Amino acid sequence: MRYFLLLLLFSSQVMAQNVATDEKVVGLFYFLPLLGHVHQSPEKTSASLTTIQCSHPVKVIESSKVVINPSWAYVEVADYRGFIRKEFLSEKRPDCFQGRYPNFFDGLNLDLSELYYWGRLYDQYIQVETRVR
Amino acid sequence: MINIFKSKLAFASLIFPLIAFSNETKLQEEKELELINFNSIRKVLQEDGLSQQALNKKKEVEKLKVEKAKINAQRSLYPQEEDMWGFLSEYFLVKNAQLLNWDYQKPEYGIDISFKELLEKLGFYQKKMKVLVLNTPSVHRGILPGAHKEDIYLISLPFIRSLDLSKLEISLLLLEDFFRSEDDMVRSRIKTKKFEEIVGSSIKGKVDQSFLKEMLSRYDQSLKTGYSFQQQFEITKKMDSYLKAHPDLWNTYFRLLGKINEFIKGNNLYKNYINLYPSPEMQIKWLSPEKKVL
Repeated sequence: MRYFLLLLLFSSQVMAQNVATDEKVVGLFYFLPLLGHVHQSPEKTSASLTTIQCSHPVKVIESSKVVINPSWAYVEVADYRGFIRKEFLSEKRPDCFQGRYPNFFDGLNLDLSELYYWGRLYDQYIQVETRVR
Repeated sequence: MINIFKSKLAFASLIFPLIAFSNETKLQEEKELELINFNSIRKVLQEDGLSQQALNKKKEVEKLKVEKAKINAQRSLYPQEEDMWGFLSEYFLVKNAQLLNWDYQKPEYGIDISFKELLEKLGFYQKKMKVLVLNTPSVHRGILPGAHKEDIYLISLPFIRSLDLSKLEISLLLLEDFFRSEDDMVRSRIKTKKFEEIVGSSIKGKVDQSFLKEMLSRYDQSLKTGYSFQQQFEITKKMDSYLKAHPDLWNTYFRLLGKINEFIKGNNLYKNYINLYPSPEMQIKWLSPEKKVL
């Protein structure tokens, strides 16, 4: 029994070391759009793991096991690990619509499907921005 | 024995508040003394610039207090006009997600690069917009007002495919809508009197659901109503004047109008296009150089 416990302790330490060497927390970022999704894979149309709101803290992770398009970030949100477009993340806490007008936003009583579609909308937009002269 | 204890307790109960009171007054005196001491070193503080710093801090706190009060007051307000436009347009798109069918895997047409290049070529800088490609033939194209002029351009994928539009042709159609927005043809069609009254006002009780309903129907109507001949004439002339400096773009636009004209005449599904954007045939006429009568 004692040997078994020692072995268990040793193996868990080895596993912890592996995780530590493979992964690195890049930093804590905040979600920018009004609503959005943590995606299962780094694609706009991929399934949603969870829906998040503007200003939600997102932990960005760098892992040697996850190689993705540079425009996407590998993230951890609560118990979920998935992907968010980098343009949706900010280092500073954003000034959100629902933060500015909480009574109006709450008063709309958006249902789950509306929250879901609102998040999808930001994935589906083609953003156009002309340069500064 | 008990009597002695009682008398001691009574004495202590009388003495204790007196001691406590005297301590309190001392503390007050100490505070006064500190103030006096502060006054005596005021000159030193002034020389060090510390009193100025304290004054600045006081002003900063006052400013923050005002800002905080403003934010708190805003919490129970309807959004300001610019925020309201962006919100309502997205609310409309969300409420009509199934009907407009915009949530699907779409091909990369390169519209973002093409439209950006076109706008920059014509001298439109620092402009932001969003394009949403719909998978429905019921709405061919359209524009919704966005927050802080960041409008939302709609274009139908079946419409693009049926006409076999190139990314430059798509960009030219979006440019027409860009000019419509610049000329305030978009917001003015949706705006109501109630909208003007409600933006930035305080929410009395619950959010006015009838206002939201009314606005959603205005949005719906705006995509179904289209533009007048006069408005179309103005936009076509504007396109003409901007594109004339770039003959390749002008020719593409002219050919595009011909292409649309031919297409809608022979396709029942797109027959109402002529009611929304009257009319490609007229636009061609307006663009064509006048024939000289000898």
